[in-house]
Amino acid sequence: MLWTLIRHELLMNLMTFRFLVAVIASMSLVLAGSIVLTDNYERRLASYNEGFQRHQEGNFSGKTYSSFRPSLDRAPNPLSLFNQGLDKRAKNSLQIRIGEVPFLWGDVSRNTGFSNPFRYLLADIDLVSIFQILFSLLALVFAYDAIAGDREDGTLRLILVNPVGRGLIVLAKYLGAMLCLTLPLLMSFLLTLLLQLQSNAIHYSADDFLRIGGIFLTTVIYTSTFYLIGLFISSVIHRTATSLIVSMFIWVVLTLLYPNVSLFLVNRFIDTEEKVRQADQAIDQILEQFHWAEVVPGDPFENPPLLKGSKSGGGSSSYTHLKKNIVFIPDAAEIHVPTVKAYFQELTSGRIRTANKVWQIRETTFSETYIYKSNIARNALRFSPAGLYHLSTEAWAGTGLARMQDFFKAGRQYRETILDYFYDKKAFSSRQWFASDKGAVRWDDAPRFSYQPPSVFEDASNRALRDLLLLFILNPMLLMMTFAVFSRQEV
Amino acid sequence: MLWHIVGRELFQQLNSLRFLFALLLIIFLMILNAIGHIKQYKTRQIEYRQQVSTALERLEKNSDNLYNLVMRGPGGLNKQPSKLAFCAQGSEDYLPTSVLGWSAGWSRSSPTYKVSGLWRLMYDVSPPITGTDIFPTFLKIDWILIVSIVLSFLALVFAFDAISGEVERGTLRLTLSNAVARGTVLVGKFLSILMSLGVVLLIGILMNLLLLSGTLQLNGQEWGRIVGVSVVSLIYLSVFIALGLFVSSLANRSATSLVILLLLWVIWVLLIPATFGTILSGLNQPLSTQDYKAQRSSQRKEITERYEARGVYEHVPTRVRPPTDATVLWAEFLNEERRADFRLNKEFLAARTHQIQVAREFNRISPTAIVQYAVESLAGTGFQRHLDFLKNAERYADAFNDFLIAADRADPDSLHVPFVREGMSDKPVSFESIPKFQDSVRLGDAFKGALLDVMLLLLFFVVLFATAHVSFQRKEI
Repeated sequence: MLWTLIRHELLMNLMTFRFLVAVIASMSLVLAGSIVLTDNYERRLASYNEGFQRHQEGNFSGKTYSSFRPSLDRAPNPLSLFNQGLDKRAKNSLQIRIGEVPFLWGDVSRNTGFSNPFRYLLADIDLVSIFQILFSLLALVFAYDAIAGDREDGTLRLILVNPVGRGLIVLAKYLGAMLCLTLPLLMSFLLTLLLQLQSNAIHYSADDFLRIGGIFLTTVIYTSTFYLIGLFISSVIHRTATSLIVSMFIWVVLTLLYPNVSLFLVNRFIDTEEKVRQADQAIDQILEQFHWAEVVPGDPFENPPLLKGSKSGGGSSSYTHLKKNIVFIPDAAEIHVPTVKAYFQELTSGRIRTANKVWQIRETTFSETYIYKSNIARNALRFSPAGLYHLSTEAWAGTGLARMQDFFKAGRQYRETILDYFYDKKAFSSRQWFASDKGAVRWDDAPRFSYQPPSVFEDASNRALRDLLLLFILNPMLLMMTFAVFSRQEV
Repeated sequence: MLWHIVGRELFQQLNSLRFLFALLLIIFLMILNAIGHIKQYKTRQIEYRQQVSTALERLEKNSDNLYNLVMRGPGGLNKQPSKLAFCAQGSEDYLPTSVLGWSAGWSRSSPTYKVSGLWRLMYDVSPPITGTDIFPTFLKIDWILIVSIVLSFLALVFAFDAISGEVERGTLRLTLSNAVARGTVLVGKFLSILMSLGVVLLIGILMNLLLLSGTLQLNGQEWGRIVGVSVVSLIYLSVFIALGLFVSSLANRSATSLVILLLLWVIWVLLIPATFGTILSGLNQPLSTQDYKAQRSSQRKEITERYEARGVYEHVPTRVRPPTDATVLWAEFLNEERRADFRLNKEFLAARTHQIQVAREFNRISPTAIVQYAVESLAGTGFQRHLDFLKNAERYADAFNDFLIAADRADPDSLHVPFVREGMSDKPVSFESIPKFQDSVRLGDAFKGALLDVMLLLLFFVVLFATAHVSFQRKEI
């Protein structure tokens, strides 16, 4: 019996004008969106590859230990086509320095693939945003007259003459419409995948396909949530026109207004500037103290008699003299080498201590300001299905703030490894720290950086499933409410 | 008769539930906008004043010697923030707030002579996106958002059943049985919807300005701009009312009419502005920054080699009177290098600007993009305003160089060979006499910038209204 009803509903829906509109609208938008996004991704990847090549050659080409300042790059994520999250906007390269712990909010260096800074003015829309707007609207359009319409036509009474439970009717309507909505959704996903795989730049691994599957599942549940909201409204309100208007108001509030207003409020009323300024002052103080201490032993290069050699590179500020590479030390100056070694050992361990102190302040400040603010914003978004959908897909795609931080965490770990490696080699007190006259440094056994993003299962269990579950729970709740209202109603 | 219809329709609209919803929604958003803007305006003002005073201090420090000004320039030139940013905040965050006007950063020292480049305007400043960039993308709650998205949606909600609803209820037949032309009915309906939306908008704007007026002291010119923004908003809403009436006269059931309108709205308002121009802008990509840098350094190398061949490095400019050939050659070299570099810089800027202009042209098929550009022009924010600012900066750069030449003329001890150190005065300059950069927003520019967009909006309106008229005339009731 259920199957007959579903088939009936399905046929009714498939034949309608709105189904046609749903298919055409979703396909054309996904087509346009995929073209823009793929093109943009190709540019970003090309720009990443170029930077990566350059750094790959440059990272281990230094002749002295002190010149070692490797740059690490974060590859663009192809899943940012689905949900761009922060993938495009967050800083995507970092430099390992002895005197600084790398962090996400440092000097902004981004590699968006936009050769034009004005390009930010043009809006970019990712596939998830298209689904978020279009399918919630379509779901409501399919649902608004599901019950109210039948009631107006009088067909509802006709159906109920048969020995069918009312619950069964609601269920059949729900399943029929969902089948109908899933069809254009599935077609859109297949279309965009087809287009994306045409591009040479995009390669998806099995892990990525699981993630795309997760996004698809989330989209289906999201659509179903909005369908059930519409069904509930349709069962409460007797006239189709009123039901449609109410649905539309709810749609505008849930998908457009609530997310923007809540982010706007969080952004305005959680003040981070004061704390960041205080931290900056504290950091400036620490650095000043260090510079003062640095002056005390005296820079051997500033006192001419100590060590006369020919330098390549160099500069005047206290930071750059670590980059000095001395290619020739005359015999007469040889006696000063131990002094210089001792000086650099002292200086470098001071720099590392200072960097750690500064990082401690930064870490607490960030968790109290930016990360705190972002968590509040994300929690505020969870009150809207559209927000839940966004957060869950962001986690599936791996483009959220947490993932950006993972990369920087890996960078910090790499810095620690490098420091350990230097300690092992006694690099700080070695002649090769500042001079390459007795042979350049061999980097053969130096640790290399590798960043393994978390697997789909980790992302799912830590980040995506919670929001997906919240979104999912709304479904049985709404269905129950609709049952409750509908079964008590007079037809 | 027309006013009779308008009065009746207006009464119905004002009494409806949707009017109440709309009013509450707009008041809420407008209050939110005002509260959010007050704080932002203050911080932005403080920031601007600080930047300006730093630039002036720098200028004053350099004014102890005319040649310091020649070499180091006036410092950063800052964009004056618009008071009306609450109308159009959106794209402001993605635009730089200054151009650099200081030393160009090349220098060459030989054992006999040390020289560095003259100052020039540098445009390639990245946008000031700060560390707080941690959110999912969201739309700023400004007037553009309120009008272009929320009110256009409300316009459709007000208009979707204007005709189809009456057909369903059968009241249209009743109305037309009187001696009323169909055109009059349509115009009456249009005016009544426009008036009720106008009431909503007006109340929202008044609430907003009431809250803001404490912080912002608006002058007559700015009030003029606000009136301009309101008029543009009303024209924009008329487009959507006309669209609503058109679809409403086509569809026989009001529910169908609303469904069609909503889908059109989603595509026209939300999705086209975010995809169309972006796709087409991808077709002509400007030079990448790296290529530009490469081109720049190769150009400098070419000029240097050319002058080396003429023996520029063999002789040193001197203060000998009359000026020696070497002094004149050095001046020529420095001037040409600067001119060529600035020309390249400008070409690069033009290519980047062109890409955005093209995208904006294509985005204008959506009235939402049009209203955004028009309101931005009127409010003195956004891309067009940024281009005006760059023009101001360029004009100032010329004036600054003219001043340097004039100041040099005034010194009898100088050789008057700009812009080489030995050929110019090295006396202090009175700080007061140096022209200061004053960025300003001109009302004329703003209205001129918005004019084309307003015309386009009117065109959209006329076409849609005419179509609605024809389809209503032909409708069988």
